[in-house]
Amino acid sequence: MSGSKFIAKIEELFGIAPQSEESKKKAVKELVKKLKLKRIELKEALKEECDIPKREALKDSIKILKKQIKKGKDILDD
Amino acid sequence: MKKVLLLLIMIGLSYTFIQSKNILNISAGVAIFLFGMFSLEEGFRSFAGGLLEKVLKKFTDKRYKSVLFGAITTSIMQSSSLISIISISFISAGLIGLAQGIGIIFGANIGTTTGAWLIAGLGLKVDIATYAMPMLVFGTILMFQSDKKAKGVGYILAGLGFLFLGIAYMKDGFDAFKETIDLTQFSIDGIKGLLVFTLIGIVATVIMQSSHATLVLIITALGAGQITYENALALAIGSNVGTTITAVLGSLTAGLEGKKLAAAHVIFNVLTGLVAITFIYPFIRIVDISAAFLGVGAEDYTMKLALFHTYFNVLGVSLLYPFTDQLVRFLDKILLAKKAKGENERDDVYFITDSALDFPATAHSVLIKETKHLYSNTFDIITKGMSIAPEDITSGMEIDDIIKLRNQPLPVNMDEYYENRIKDIYGKIINFAIMAQGKFGEETIRDIVPLKMANISIAEAFKAAKHMQKNMLFYLSSNNEHIKKEYNHIRKNLIKQLRNMQLIFNTTEEDVAVLLLSKIKLDAKKYDIAASKSLDDLIRSNKINYTMATSLMNDTTYAYTIASELAEVANILFIHHEKEGKEEREALLLNDLEVQDLTNHN
Repeated sequence: MSGSKFIAKIEELFGIAPQSEESKKKAVKELVKKLKLKRIELKEALKEECDIPKREALKDSIKILKKQIKKGKDILDD
Repeated sequence: MKKVLLLLIMIGLSYTFIQSKNILNISAGVAIFLFGMFSLEEGFRSFAGGLLEKVLKKFTDKRYKSVLFGAITTSIMQSSSLISIISISFISAGLIGLAQGIGIIFGANIGTTTGAWLIAGLGLKVDIATYAMPMLVFGTILMFQSDKKAKGVGYILAGLGFLFLGIAYMKDGFDAFKETIDLTQFSIDGIKGLLVFTLIGIVATVIMQSSHATLVLIITALGAGQITYENALALAIGSNVGTTITAVLGSLTAGLEGKKLAAAHVIFNVLTGLVAITFIYPFIRIVDISAAFLGVGAEDYTMKLALFHTYFNVLGVSLLYPFTDQLVRFLDKILLAKKAKGENERDDVYFITDSALDFPATAHSVLIKETKHLYSNTFDIITKGMSIAPEDITSGMEIDDIIKLRNQPLPVNMDEYYENRIKDIYGKIINFAIMAQGKFGEETIRDIVPLKMANISIAEAFKAAKHMQKNMLFYLSSNNEHIKKEYNHIRKNLIKQLRNMQLIFNTTEEDVAVLLLSKIKLDAKKYDIAASKSLDDLIRSNKINYTMATSLMNDTTYAYTIASELAEVANILFIHHEKEGKEEREALLLNDLEVQDLTNHN
């Protein structure tokens, strides 16, 4: 085993190894999941909300979430 | 005075060296050994930027792990001083707590006992000078390499080489001494000897700032039969107390928590020393019994000294470990933080210290904390500049109700506030960031530059708020309801923005932060567009005069600057608050183009 491989193994063993591409995707996937739930939650809130400025703010948030979820999906598909 | 004293010491030493070649040999041995320690520490420091920091953060979450960490790293690096300095830096930067720091110090005291074993077991029994020469050659070759890691290995190798060479010189010096003079004639028996030699051990270690160097001297002298076993034990106890000087000196440039850790180190080592002195005879008896059991010869005093050193350090840790919480409480009580300053009193940095510049992780952590500190002060004055109380933002009050409550202008001297609570902190942060940029590698610079930019953004936001304040105060008491309404509109938008910022800083939910960070960007952009339309309507319908229009136009721009600069600050702090996982945190945040795209769809 070469020196660098040995160090990588030790780092992995102690859980201090730098994040791999796979673990990055895993983190993004988790976040996308949370954002999807947030969007559902805000859509429900929008149905109940009567105040116009608040409705506008909710609509903006939903649009942002939609874009963020799409962005996340693009990363996952790469 | 200092220079005169140094000159006198030099003259005294020169005279002694002319008189005795053996003293010259021993002194040269000590000097080479200390230089070796310096090289070794320098070598390990070059690795501190990566692995050591990660391990330190990962393995100090539980107290027993901190003890293990201290013991293992000190055993490997053979320097409790380096571990103390690293711990003081980390604790001052808030990366580890005081209890964990104390755990590391406990462990370092156990780890340092391996040095006595190595010196007594190998240093005296093997001709280590033979190994020193190739180590020095290879070490020096590597030291000249441009690669940081190779350089570090070079320092470590050369350090070990010098350590070995120093031990060999000391050993030779004491061996030769044996033939001309018997130093044991200066030995003192009983309690008096115990106290006198403990004091000598303390003084020697304080001067050399290395308990290892003192231990080598003791062990080589003991091996050559130049000091008695009992006096050697007392010297070892003294070296254990004297070694705390490094931590005390290191804490002088550290923060309050670092000072507490140094105090804990002194308390622990002094108490352990007192226990060892009080129970020295039972200790000697236990060492004799266990030495026979471990196969150490009855006359092998150097190994018995190593055994004694281990026993009293382990006993010290065993006695004090259960009282760590009490020790933390005691230190918190006697070393109090400066009282929180009133809003008109001069404020200063909380975390920036010289010791924070020792390691990339501490520099990064301190920069994050001071940036938040500066943001907090700036948040206060921006809200006051809009004639709103900072607590209104954090309250659950509806924004319209806040505007109704604060319908009168509240004058505040923003220049004075800047002088007292922003200028120095801002200056020190920028200075610290520049120093850190110059000191650390590319990877650290990539973290530090955005944080420097965040502070510049905070300063820009403050400047914009200051420019806006004059008109804000004037038009909030205006009789023209239209212009008043427009300024209240600016206030409402900024309250919303500042509220979202507070939510971002306080939330632990990543999805909430990711959403709000994009939301504050969008709100800033949308407001800028809406304000321009509204301004056009007001001018066309003659509801405001041209002076009002100019003021409103300028202040709308200032409000946009405040909102967008603060959005940038929140963005940077969110992405860079931890060194790990930056890319994931940044991945789903909307960039300027994407936000622009959303505003176009509205």
